[in-house]
Amino acid sequence: MTNMIETHHLTKQYSDFTAVSDLNLHIKKGRIHGFLGPNGAGKSTTMKMFLGLTKPTDGSFEINGKMFPKDRQQILREIGSLIESPAFYGNLTGEENLEIIRKILNLPKRFVKDALETVGLYEYRNRLAKKYSLGMKQRLGLAGALIGKPPILILDEPTNGLDPAGIHEIRTLIRSLPQTYDCTILVSSHLLSEMELLADDVSILNHGRLLFEGTLSELKQYAVHAGYPVENLEETFLSIIEEDNLKRGGKR
Amino acid sequence: MNVSLEMKKLKRTGFYPAFLFGAVLAAAIPILQTAFRAEYFTNQLLPGLEILLGANWQMLAMLNVFFLVIGACMMYHIEFADRAIQKMESLPLSAGRVFAAKCFILLGALLFVILIEAVSIAFCTIHWFSAGQNFVQELFQIFGFEWILMVPAVILMMMVASLCRNMWISLGIGVICIFTVTILPHENLILSFFPFSLPFQSLPDAHDSLHVSSYLAASCTETALFGILEALIIRVRRNCA
Ligand SMILES: Nc1ncnc2c1ncn2[C@@H]1O[C@H](COP(=O)(O)OP(=O)(O)OP(=O)(O)O)[C@@H](O)[C@H]1O
Ligand SMILES: [Mg+2]
Repeated sequence: MTNMIETHHLTKQYSDFTAVSDLNLHIKKGRIHGFLGPNGAGKSTTMKMFLGLTKPTDGSFEINGKMFPKDRQQILREIGSLIESPAFYGNLTGEENLEIIRKILNLPKRFVKDALETVGLYEYRNRLAKKYSLGMKQRLGLAGALIGKPPILILDEPTNGLDPAGIHEIRTLIRSLPQTYDCTILVSSHLLSEMELLADDVSILNHGRLLFEGTLSELKQYAVHAGYPVENLEETFLSIIEEDNLKRGGKR
Repeated sequence: MNVSLEMKKLKRTGFYPAFLFGAVLAAAIPILQTAFRAEYFTNQLLPGLEILLGANWQMLAMLNVFFLVIGACMMYHIEFADRAIQKMESLPLSAGRVFAAKCFILLGALLFVILIEAVSIAFCTIHWFSAGQNFVQELFQIFGFEWILMVPAVILMMMVASLCRNMWISLGIGVICIFTVTILPHENLILSFFPFSLPFQSLPDAHDSLHVSSYLAASCTETALFGILEALIIRVRRNCA
């Protein structure tokens, strides 16, 4: 199986602080890859580097065989993204916001309606985006990521701010995407029970360092082998992080 | 460069009404001024256009620069307000082109204001004085000159607006620049090359002091300079992000 995204010793340093350290990540084509880690682990920073929103201090990465920064424009053409809290024009309606993205990506007109329907915003398309509820803004951001049916989706906490029904709905949607059309998804979340239902592969990040990368069942084997609890992903995750923090000398 | 896309983004921001209102306000000044002081004006032994420009130019230039500052602030405010700029940066889109398109729109809006001002001056000349030979041509030259001299300030102000996430800071910088210009001594040629001073120079005055080509050259040089500077800023920002 080929890798859609590959990083080589990817590192991001902020003046005296390393947000991402020597990361070697392999995101396989056609899979949903869950990106786990506590607050400040470096998940968003890594995703931002993939989009060229922030520049790596060291190391490199390849996306769909294209190198950064040489092929940045080409890479961006293939990625649909939602990073941290949604970003939009508050003075425009949901529909107009997507219309802007559609024009930039040079897509057919009907894609806007499709995207609005996919995320369940069609009914509210004529409302100003700044008047949307948090969950609706999140859905708008998701629509902006999905609109061109891009081969790669980078979703940073896509269910942030959604109600339980919304979380279920969006999870089902994301889960269905690789079947609807050929795509690879990198998704971060704190909701580990969600991740367990959503992801094929996971990687666990703590303090910028990669602690584990592999399929969910490999994670289970690894946990059994290392003596971590395996009842559910949450337990496993918490003990892996705790163990790592202890190893780091109790430093948080 | 996608001008129509950038124009769509300005929907409901008050940008277009502001410029419409501004143009009407600017046009009203010469008309009201001349209407109230008609006798004083018409008794002077100068050509009508010269009298009108002498009485109104500083005020019109001040308004033009003020609209320029407000326009630039509005255009980047929508990008920062709900972090739309982050979405834009993650799309295959060149920041330089977006910047150029925005400058283009602001220059277009200012051209509209200037045209209305020219119409107002034309009305005053014809109504209270008499239009001389080549009147229309002269008028076009005067206001065209004004427009060209505004280009550096447009680019500079857009640069400031694109760098400040908080609109109030860029607005403050713009207002300080305008005030600085009004304090600066008017006779000093070098100081009048300051981007915010240029729009205050009127073509007839520049003619008298034989500085027309210096002003045009200054405008072109500053335009090129700020253009290069903006390209550098975009590159540096990407590399330091
Ligand atoms: N511009 C910046 N300057 C300095 N430090 C930064 C900057 N951006 C992020 N950081 C730091 O980098 C670390 C990683 O941040 P990041 O946003 O990637 O975490 P995260 O894994 O996405 O966390 P969360 O789960 O809370 O979203 C944090 O400690 C953060 O403070
Ligand atoms: Mg984050």
